[in-house]
Amino acid sequence: MSKQVPETIKKQVKRSFNSKEVKKEKNEKRMKLLKEIQSKAFKRAEKYEKEYLEQDQKLVELKQKALKEGSFYREPEPKLAFIIRIRGIVGVPPKPRKILQLLRLRRIYSGVFIRLNKSSLRMLHFIDPYVTWGYPDVETVRALIYKRGHARVNHQRKIIDSNEMIYDKLQKYDIVCMEDLVHEIYTVGKNFKHANSFLWAFKLKPPVGGFSTVKKSFVNKGEHGNREQYINTLVKKMI
Amino acid sequence: MTTQQLRPIVSVFPIKGKVKTIKQVPLPSVFSAPIRPDVVRFVHTNMAKNNRQAHAVSTTAGEQTSATSWGTGRAVARIPRVKGSGTGRSGQAAFGNMCRGGRMYAPKKVWRKWHRKINTNQKRYAVCSAIAATAVTPLVMSRGHRVNKLPELPLVVSDQLQSLTKTRQAVKFLKFIGAYRDVEKVIRTKKTRVGQGKYRNRRHVLRKGPMVVYARNLGIKKAFRNIPGVETASVYTLNLLKLAPGSQMGRFIIWTESAFKLLEDIYGSWEKPSKFKSGFYLPRPVMVNTDVERIIKSDQVQTVLRNRRPRSRKYGKKIQRADPYEDMSVMVKLNPYYKTKLQKQKELEEKNKKERKEIVDKSRKEYEDWLYFSEEEEEEEEEEEEEGSDEDREIEVLSDEN
Repeated sequence: MSKQVPETIKKQVKRSFNSKEVKKEKNEKRMKLLKEIQSKAFKRAEKYEKEYLEQDQKLVELKQKALKEGSFYREPEPKLAFIIRIRGIVGVPPKPRKILQLLRLRRIYSGVFIRLNKSSLRMLHFIDPYVTWGYPDVETVRALIYKRGHARVNHQRKIIDSNEMIYDKLQKYDIVCMEDLVHEIYTVGKNFKHANSFLWAFKLKPPVGGFSTVKKSFVNKGEHGNREQYINTLVKKMI
Repeated sequence: MTTQQLRPIVSVFPIKGKVKTIKQVPLPSVFSAPIRPDVVRFVHTNMAKNNRQAHAVSTTAGEQTSATSWGTGRAVARIPRVKGSGTGRSGQAAFGNMCRGGRMYAPKKVWRKWHRKINTNQKRYAVCSAIAATAVTPLVMSRGHRVNKLPELPLVVSDQLQSLTKTRQAVKFLKFIGAYRDVEKVIRTKKTRVGQGKYRNRRHVLRKGPMVVYARNLGIKKAFRNIPGVETASVYTLNLLKLAPGSQMGRFIIWTESAFKLLEDIYGSWEKPSKFKSGFYLPRPVMVNTDVERIIKSDQVQTVLRNRRPRSRKYGKKIQRADPYEDMSVMVKLNPYYKTKLQKQKELEEKNKKERKEIVDKSRKEYEDWLYFSEEEEEEEEEEEEEGSDEDREIEVLSDEN
């Protein structure tokens, strides 16, 4: 004779959110979704590789064309910057302090992406002595997001360990995988804001080989301020 | 409250011998009043203060001297000292609470507030709770009464009990009903009081035994008066201090039938007010159904609950995944295209390498051809100059290293 199961427990099992059938169904759904995401990720990564290549080639083409014609090709101004805070929090005046807070640069060696427009350039002007910034290339953006990319999930900082994480948060902006995220950031797309705020501010390590002098600007053989494409080498040392 | 419609039945027992049919009486509503030990405690502690007699220390105690402080400079403490001389008392410290023979700190006064007012409703609430507790066997047992041999709790007995006149009869009844064990306990544990009360006319301490509650005193009071531990009370004037001695609920009570029935009139119910206490209804409990577990597990509640949130294992764990640039499996999980990309890069590299090799080979060949032809020309010239071909060999070596 089988054991008598109390009726309340029977009812509970029937009702249960965690019953075997329900769990199985959920799991199947999830597996299916994961497959979809990964296949999408594959296709999109492929697409973006081509796109980046084309962009580079196009740039070269236009330059050469201009040269041939004897005119100049003016490259489009950079849309994306990566800022790294290189000074600590002691003795920062209120205005730069506030701006650094707004940009999520709350501690030393933290880094954020920012889209460049007149307003943000003006903000950068105020915080120049406390940060160094420049125009990252694709590989830098990739390295940052893959190696040091943490997501803001439920007000928590969680390392991005699967595309599912990105899908859950950014699916409505058509960003479903890492490469999508990288693309959105690098090309400063329509949903740059959402992609960027999904990312927690990057926590970088102090640079291998050190800084020369943070007190001077980069232009004056120091470290702070705009260093354009040299940000890429710096990030490699700090990542 | 709906449970009130079904009132349990209590048997009425004879005071001696057997009876053909045992009479049944419904349980009065008081016994379903909420049992509130906190209310009982509050009311009891205050009520117990009401039979106190004022006491105080004499107003002049310790003050009957004309002591004055000697002041400073005499190498003694500055406490007031008794004036005069010729006696041991002179120069001794006086007045202070620390002094020998001085007055105490804050001498007690008779106008201390000895008695406490308690809200009538609170008092009634406490009594209702206490009465309800007398029907709960575990409470009665935990109070210490020996109730194992009783036929029932609450114990209701025929009205003949009220007409008993002799103590012998009373004792016989108690033995018959099984309540005598409690009385025995009282007798057995009579002790001399611990403390100074023993020589202040409170020499012995007795436990509390059964309490007999009657409706009419037709001799019962005197019959039970001399039995140690047993108290009698009229149902009209039930005293909390007796129902819950020491604010501990669960006194063992023996009710007479008419007293038991009167409880319904005296304390009323939730629908009908009391006949004797104007406007008084039985107190309502905070929770009617206290089986919280059952309520939670009931269908009505369970069907309305949201689903239990599973412990999110998805990204809940504090995992430090490996660096994707070092661990290929992590990289592929994040970017499934990565392997293909590497492959393509490799293919491209090989292609480029091949192309480059072709170009290099081609140019080398061209150069060698050119050399060959130039050698021929030089040979024609050399027939005149006879120069070695060391220089040419050097150049060849260089081109190989490419």
